[in-house]
Amino acid sequence: MAPQDRSRDVVQGTLDMLVLKALSLTPMHGWGITNRIAQITKDVLTVNPGSLYPALERLQDRGWITADWQTTESGRNAKYYKITAAGRRRLGTETESWRRMAAAIEAVLRTT
Amino acid sequence: MNNIASLLRRRLRALFRRSIVEREMHNELAFHFELEKKERMRAGASSAEAHRAAMHAFGSVDHVKEAYRDARGTRPLENLVQDLRYGVRVLRRNPLFAAAAITTLGLGLGATLAVFNVVNGVLLRPLPYKDPERINVIWVAWRWDDGTVSDMPLSSGWYSDIERDSRSFDAVAAFRAWPYALAESPDAEREAVAGARVSPALFDVLGISPAVGRAFTREEAVPGAPNVALISHDLWQRKFGGNRDIIGKQIYLSDAPFTLTGVMPPGFAFPRGAELPAPFQFGLRTDVWTPLVFDSSEVRNYDTQNLMAVGKLSERCGTGECSASVVQSELTGLLIRSMPAAQDKHAYKLVSMADQAAARIRRPLLILLGAVAFVLAIAAANVISLLIGRVHARQRELAVRSALGAARGRLARQLIAENLVLCLLGMVVGLTLAFWGTKVMLSLVPGSLPRADDIGFDWRVLSVAGLLALIAALGFGVAAAYAARLRFTRAAVSVSKTRRVLVMTEVALSLTLLIGAALLTRSFLSLQQVRPGFDPSNALTARVSMPLSGRFQPLVDGPRWSTTFDQITARLASAPGIDAAGGVFTLPMSGAYEGGGVRPIGKVYPAGQNPSAQVQVVSGDYFGATRTNLVAGRVFDASDNEPGRATMIVNRKFAREHYGSETDALGREVAALFEFARDRPNRVIVGVVDDVKTVSLDADAPPQVYVPLSQHPAPAQTLVIRVSGNDPLAAVPLVRQTVHDVSPSATVKEVRTFESVVADSLARQRFNMTLVATFAILALVLAFVGLYGVLALIVGQRRREIGVRLALGATPGSVVRAFLGEGVRVVAIGVVIGLAGAFALTRVLSSMLYGISTTDVSTFAGAALFVGLVAIFATWVPARRASRVDPRTPLAAE
Repeated sequence: MAPQDRSRDVVQGTLDMLVLKALSLTPMHGWGITNRIAQITKDVLTVNPGSLYPALERLQDRGWITADWQTTESGRNAKYYKITAAGRRRLGTETESWRRMAAAIEAVLRTT
Repeated sequence: MNNIASLLRRRLRALFRRSIVEREMHNELAFHFELEKKERMRAGASSAEAHRAAMHAFGSVDHVKEAYRDARGTRPLENLVQDLRYGVRVLRRNPLFAAAAITTLGLGLGATLAVFNVVNGVLLRPLPYKDPERINVIWVAWRWDDGTVSDMPLSSGWYSDIERDSRSFDAVAAFRAWPYALAESPDAEREAVAGARVSPALFDVLGISPAVGRAFTREEAVPGAPNVALISHDLWQRKFGGNRDIIGKQIYLSDAPFTLTGVMPPGFAFPRGAELPAPFQFGLRTDVWTPLVFDSSEVRNYDTQNLMAVGKLSERCGTGECSASVVQSELTGLLIRSMPAAQDKHAYKLVSMADQAAARIRRPLLILLGAVAFVLAIAAANVISLLIGRVHARQRELAVRSALGAARGRLARQLIAENLVLCLLGMVVGLTLAFWGTKVMLSLVPGSLPRADDIGFDWRVLSVAGLLALIAALGFGVAAAYAARLRFTRAAVSVSKTRRVLVMTEVALSLTLLIGAALLTRSFLSLQQVRPGFDPSNALTARVSMPLSGRFQPLVDGPRWSTTFDQITARLASAPGIDAAGGVFTLPMSGAYEGGGVRPIGKVYPAGQNPSAQVQVVSGDYFGATRTNLVAGRVFDASDNEPGRATMIVNRKFAREHYGSETDALGREVAALFEFARDRPNRVIVGVVDDVKTVSLDADAPPQVYVPLSQHPAPAQTLVIRVSGNDPLAAVPLVRQTVHDVSPSATVKEVRTFESVVADSLARQRFNMTLVATFAILALVLAFVGLYGVLALIVGQRRREIGVRLALGATPGSVVRAFLGEGVRVVAIGVVIGLAGAFALTRVLSSMLYGISTTDVSTFAGAALFVGLVAIFATWVPARRASRVDPRTPLAAE
C-alpha cells in the first residue's frame, strides 16, 4: 500500500533527495516540505503524507535530519525538520549520482 | 556513534513513551491537514469544498498513520507486547484453564528444575577452588595379591618423593583427617571438631588464602616448630563471634596450645567428607587445619599408607602438553625407585577432584533426571490436551479473527505469545517449587550427598528454566495452531484422536516410571529385611576420642587408652537400665572399616594370594552390646588384658574359608600383619562369631577378625550401649557424664541410636526410592487428570447423542459400557507400551537394586494392574455421568 503510493508520486528513491534538498535552505514542517516540492516542480511532483512522514522518520534514523517542536508565525506548535551536516554531505552525493544517472538516461534517449 | 545513540533514544522513546509519540504524530498530521485545507480556502474554495479536497489529497488518515508507525522501526516489538497483553487477557478470561495449565506445568517444571539444580551443583558447577580442572587427587592403584586393584592412599615417604622430585605439578599437598577437641582455654568445655593435618601447600593447590590473618608457612611445618592452626569462617563465627582479636592468640586443640594464624574464607571446608572415601573419616566439613609435619624417619617411611594427596598440575600439563598418563608414568617411576617390587604391579593414578567428589553419584543423579523428564513430558502432554480442548471452545473467536483478515502467521504468533505467557507463569511456579523441592531433596540425604554445599540457583538453572519455558511455549503454540487448523479443515474426530494418543503416552510414561519406583521400593524393603548379624534395636552409639595433639604413638599411649575405655564400659555396664556396654574402632554400617593382612599359621596359599581380613578393635562387652552371636569358643574377657596375651576372635566366614568349619578354627594360630609392634607373637583364635555386615547391607560380610583394644591400641572407640528399656536416647546424659567422669579430656560426638546408624547407611537408596516414587505418583496423578479430562470432554461433546440413545431405549448400563470400552482401549494400549518401555529401561537400575531382578514379573504385573485400574476409574467417572444424561437434553438444547 504505502510503497505503491510512493512510486506513483515520485520516482522511487528520489524522495529522500527531494526532502533533503527542500530542507537544505531552511528548516521546515511537514506540510511546508510538500508545498515546497510542489511549488518548485510546478505540481509535477507531489509528495503525499503517507510517504512523506515515514521518509522523515527514516531520515532521522540515519541522522541526516533532526526534528524539534517550534512555534509557527501563527502561534501554532509545529514539528520542524532541520538538515544536519551529515545530511548535507548525503545530499551532495545523492545529487551527484542523480546527475550522472540522468545524463546517462538522457544519452540513451537521444541515441534512439 | 552519536548517531546510534540518538537512534536508540528514538526507538526507546517510541516504545516506552508511546502515548506521547502517538499524540505528537496526531498533532503533526492534524496541522498538516489544516494547512492543506487553508491553502485551498485561500485559493477561493468554500470551507466544505476545501475540507473535501484536502481529504482527497491527504488520503486515508489511518493509512498515513500506519505507514508513519511502521517507519518507527519498533513494530515487531510492539506486536509482541500487544500479543502478550492479549495473552494475559485471554488467560484472565479463562481462570480455570489458566490455573490448571499453570499448575500442571509448574509441577512438571518444579520437579525437573529441583533435580537439575542438584545435578548442576554436584556435577556441572566447577569446584569452588581456583583452576579446579587442574586439581587432581593422587592415588596409588594398588594391585592386591588376589588380583583386584583398589585406590590406596600414599605413605609419607612416597608423598615426600613426589613433593621433592616431581616436575608435573605447580603444587602438591598431603592431608589426613585428625579429629580435635577444641577449647578456648585449658579448662573451658571441649568441643569435638573435624580437623585435618595438611601440608602448607594445600592452600596453593586450591588457590584459596585465609580471609583473615595468614596461612601457615613451610617453616611452621617442620618438627619442633611452634603449634599453629587455621579455623573455618563458620567456626570463627560460632565459637569466637567473628572477633578479629583472636588472630595470633592461643586456642587449645586436644589440650595443647596452638597459635591461631588465620580464618579461612566463608564456605571453605576442604576436605569435605562426602567427597572422599568414607574410611578416611574426614568430617562433613573441616573446621580446623594444622600443619602436617614429617620427621626425618617419616620422610623415608614407605610402609604406612595413610595420606591423601592432591596436586595442581602445572599449566603445561593442565593444557594437554603432557597428558595425565605422562604424569602418571613420571610418578610411577618415583614409586618404583622407592619400591622396586612395585614394577608392573602398582602405579600412580590421577583422579580429577571433580570426578573424585561426584563420579560415584553421577549415574543415580542422571537416572533421577531421566525419571523427572518423564514427569515433565506427562505434564506437557496434559497441557497440550487442555489446549486442544480450548481450541474447541475458541473456534468461533479464531474463525472471526481469521475472517477479519488476521494473517495466518499472525494468528500462530499470537497463539505462541499466549502460550509464552502461560509458560512464563508456569516457570515462575516451577522455580518456586524447585526452591523448596531442592531443600526437601537435600534433607533426605543429610551429609552423604557430595558437594551438597555447592548446590544453589545460578545462571545455569535459570537459563534451563527459561529454555524449557520457551520450548514449551513454542511447542504448545504450534500444537494449538495445528489443532485449530484441524478444527477448520477436518472433523472433530482427528482432534480427539490426537488427545487419545496423548493420553496413551501419559499412561505409558507413568507406568514405566511406576515400575521403576516399585523396583526401587521393593529393593529398599528387602534391604531393610536383611539381617546384619547384629541387633541394632535398643542400642545407643557414641564416638569417644582421647585427645591426640602430638604424634600418634600407640605403643606409648595404648595402655592408657585401653584402661580408660575399660573403665568407661565397665561403669556404664553396671549402671541401672543398661544391659551391656562395649566399644569398637569402626562401627558396623557407619561407613568406616579397616583391613589388614593375616596369615593363618600352617596354611599354604598360592603365590600372590595372601589372605586379608577386616579388622575390628573391640573393648568391653562388645559382642553382648551388639548381640553378635557367639558360634564357638568364648568372647574376650579380663584374661585377654593380661600383658603378653595374643588372642583373636574370627567370624564364620573366616573360619570356614581357612579351616573348613567353625570349631576347627578354635586354637589355631594366626600371624597378624597389622600389628604396631614388630615382635608380636602369633594370635590364638579363641572364639568364632556370626558374620556381621559392616560396609553396606547389600554386600556380604568379608572375613573378619576381632582383637581386644588392650592388645591393639586405638585412641578412639565407638561405644555401643544396650539399654533394657526401649528408649536408648534416655541414656545419653549418663553416657556423657560417665565419659566425663572417667576422662575429662575425652570428647563425645556422633551420639545416635544404632538403628539410625543402620538407617543412615541406606540414605542413598532411600533418596533414590523416595524421589522416583514421588515422581511416579506425580506422573500417575497427572495421567489420571489427563485421562479424566479427555473423557469428560468427549462426554460433554456427545451429550445430545447420548440423550437420543437413552430416549430410544438404551439402558444407562450400556452407555457406561460404551464409554468404558472406549477408555479401556486407550488405556490398554498405553499399558502395553509402558510395559515395553519399562522392560527396555529398568536395566539402568540394575546397580541400584538388591534382591530383585530388573524385570521382576510380579512388579511389572502389579504396576500394570494398578495403573490400569486407576486409568479405568478415571474413565468410569465421566462415563457414569454420561449415563445420567436426561433423555430430554436434545429437546431442551434445540
